[in-house]
Amino acid sequence: MSVDQRLGEAGRMPADTRGTSRLSGETVTIGVIFALTVAMILGSRVISPAFGGWNQAETILYLASFLVFCSFGQGLVILVRGLDLSIASVITLGGVLTTTWLAGDNGDLVFILPAILVVCTLVGVASGIGVSLLKVPPFIMTMATGIIVYSLCLGVTRGTPRGYPAPVLNDVMRAELAGLPVPILVLAAFVAGGFLLQSYSTYGRRLYAVGNNPAAAHVVGLPTVRVTIGAYAISALCAGFTGIMLASYANGATLRMGDDYLLPSIAAVVVGGSSILGGKGNFLGTVGGAILLTTLATILSALGIEQGWKTIVEGGVILFALMVLREQVYEALRTWMGSERR
Amino acid sequence: MGSVAALAVAGLSKRYGATVALRSLTMRIVPHEVHAVLGENGAGKSTLVKILSGAVQPNSGTIELAGQPYAPRTLLGARRAGISTAFQELSLLPNLSVAENLLLPRVSGTRFWPEAAGSITRRAEAVLKEWAVTDIDPVARVEALSLAERQRLEIVRALSHRPRLLILDEPTAALPDATWLFRQVRRLTETGVAVLYISHRLSEVRELCQRATVLRNGESIDTVDLAGVKDDQIFAMMVGRAPERAYPAPVAAAAGAETLIEARGLTTGRLRDVSLSLKSGEILGVAALEGQGQLELFRALGGVGTHEAGEVRYNGRPVALTSPRRALRAGDGIAYVPEERKTEGIFGGLTAAANMSLPQVPRIARGGLIHHRLDVAATRTAAEAVSLADRYFGFRVSDLSGGNQQKVVLARALMTRARCLVMFDPTRGVDVGTKQAIYTMMRGFVADGRAILVYSSELSELVHLCHRCLVIYGGRIVADVGRDRLTEEYLLAAAHGHGGAAPLRAAS
Repeated sequence: MSVDQRLGEAGRMPADTRGTSRLSGETVTIGVIFALTVAMILGSRVISPAFGGWNQAETILYLASFLVFCSFGQGLVILVRGLDLSIASVITLGGVLTTTWLAGDNGDLVFILPAILVVCTLVGVASGIGVSLLKVPPFIMTMATGIIVYSLCLGVTRGTPRGYPAPVLNDVMRAELAGLPVPILVLAAFVAGGFLLQSYSTYGRRLYAVGNNPAAAHVVGLPTVRVTIGAYAISALCAGFTGIMLASYANGATLRMGDDYLLPSIAAVVVGGSSILGGKGNFLGTVGGAILLTTLATILSALGIEQGWKTIVEGGVILFALMVLREQVYEALRTWMGSERR
Repeated sequence: MGSVAALAVAGLSKRYGATVALRSLTMRIVPHEVHAVLGENGAGKSTLVKILSGAVQPNSGTIELAGQPYAPRTLLGARRAGISTAFQELSLLPNLSVAENLLLPRVSGTRFWPEAAGSITRRAEAVLKEWAVTDIDPVARVEALSLAERQRLEIVRALSHRPRLLILDEPTAALPDATWLFRQVRRLTETGVAVLYISHRLSEVRELCQRATVLRNGESIDTVDLAGVKDDQIFAMMVGRAPERAYPAPVAAAAGAETLIEARGLTTGRLRDVSLSLKSGEILGVAALEGQGQLELFRALGGVGTHEAGEVRYNGRPVALTSPRRALRAGDGIAYVPEERKTEGIFGGLTAAANMSLPQVPRIARGGLIHHRLDVAATRTAAEAVSLADRYFGFRVSDLSGGNQQKVVLARALMTRARCLVMFDPTRGVDVGTKQAIYTMMRGFVADGRAILVYSSELSELVHLCHRCLVIYGGRIVADVGRDRLTEEYLLAAAHGHGGAAPLRAAS
């Protein structure tokens, strides 16, 4: 008696397992990524007994949080078949504004922080308008806004950003609440909110629809232009937020502070199981991807490997992850499991 | 009949992941024969075609071609072995010319330098002429051709490979007139070629084919001599139960109906000065040969296309149908069901449930987040109207059969709550069971004062379904036929521009 026969509707219809084998690719990806991360953290005990414990995990989460913030926005843009290359510049913008506008003073924090985020969001709105209304390819459009924003930062600061973020921000980055560093709590809240927005909100549903089939989305009457602009706006908002957090963490801003996040943000999204072609993906996967990349970087640094080799290993791991986590591999796995059952 | 089969298939099976597409298929085709393969969507016809043409490899089973074992691994391998295929999802490259498409694997041949354009055109011209196609320009780009022209091109390309076995997968889905095709097929079979013919149109199959193999759920049920069986028996074999009547009895439109949509002087593309009015409780049909402007009309009313001149009123007020979104919000709403299911209809990567509930998303959410119970309830209501089984809800739409995909598209149109549906060939390429479900849905839809404008490439469907039918020829409405005079012959004559009826202007 095979499982199929028992599942078959009244024994008449052949069993149809297309939807029922819900060990979906996404779930597997996320599971594998987190398992890999935990394994790497535990395995790093070999390097030094100080590693592999909760302390190291905490450090990694702390460092990964910056990447998670900006990868969320990158993920939304990729979901609607785009790419946001302006992330590095907008992070810098957020950081530079934090230090110059606040200038080491707590005074107008409650007004200035939202103002910084609004300015950053407007950069994203501009990119989104270019992509959705003017039909400029996302790659070119975001590169252009990125260059413009960066050049503005360069011009206004004359090459050296001055000032400091508000001391309060600095304190927050070091504070602990209930035994956990505040930035990690912020990360947890951000992940929860981002996940809900992407997977369970009305806006999220529309994002997936537009990314999956823009022509059909238009025919169905979805506001495709608004949905697309929204994705770029959120991406810039997240990048600006990352800039504020980074400036607070480092107690200052530099013009190159965003550079280390552009390519990793794309890598985190793709390693996390999203399709670079849009329409498919899950924020939890991206979070896993970001943490995995950060873990890798941390361990490689700890090993004292030279920068060149370090980058080569990172690239290799990303490639490996992408090859292993492809759709075909699940298909093969499902076929194999299917044939085992009968 | 012949001693060596042209094609002999035994125990063929194919699984995709955990999905069984073919369970056990056995069939024999002899030379000179046109052999039909019949079955509902999802019965395994497409998989059979893909295996025979080398696109996918079976999990088990044997194939023999003229007595020789045959196991193609690529399309070119299949072609070398003597099988060529005209695919249902046409395999032409839209950005290349007709000539380049025709000769594609053989452009340039073995020479290093690219073949001169003139030489390509000359060779293509010869091929087209050989297969009696005179109205397609070899230098035209394929994207500029109508669907019917592309379909003929696809067929000519398959013919031109001089196969031993020709596979035609739904070759008439976009062909308004099958005479040309039948003539070419007969020419081919006279030379000893065998043809595997897949079609949903039983009358065509009877005209062209001698025997048919019926598939159901991936198994070959039986091979029958078509002369010896009735349609009912074939349907019964296909669905595994006694068939319902092909068409439910038509219902008269309610008296005292109000005019919902009124179009005046619509002009765009091939469409010339078309006026029509759609009343509540009415299924208004549109009959036309391929490419007479009906697509422009439907796209303009759905807000997908534009119109250069003319005015549309909804409930008496002028409306601007500049986007599908505007169309949905105009008056009591116009929902468009597109002709291209794959490109404009479905969201292949999303689940059936997510596809259907999309227009309702604002109403099934609380505080911006989707409310699971409302989501399921709304989806279920729409799915019931098109009789889509619950078990498909969690499936990715791209995993569903064509018929079920179409049900999803229709369910979504219902979810928009628009009072008027504008449907372009909603039953194209779907199986008998799905057609029934679609007819039931359409009748139910108009029964409570809503209205449908529908184009169909099958005249019999319009005759049985519509309260009134417009005929478009050369971009103009040439007849407005009431229920009492609605016959296939009448529509056919009018669609060919013959005034079997004195042309009537649509009047309200």
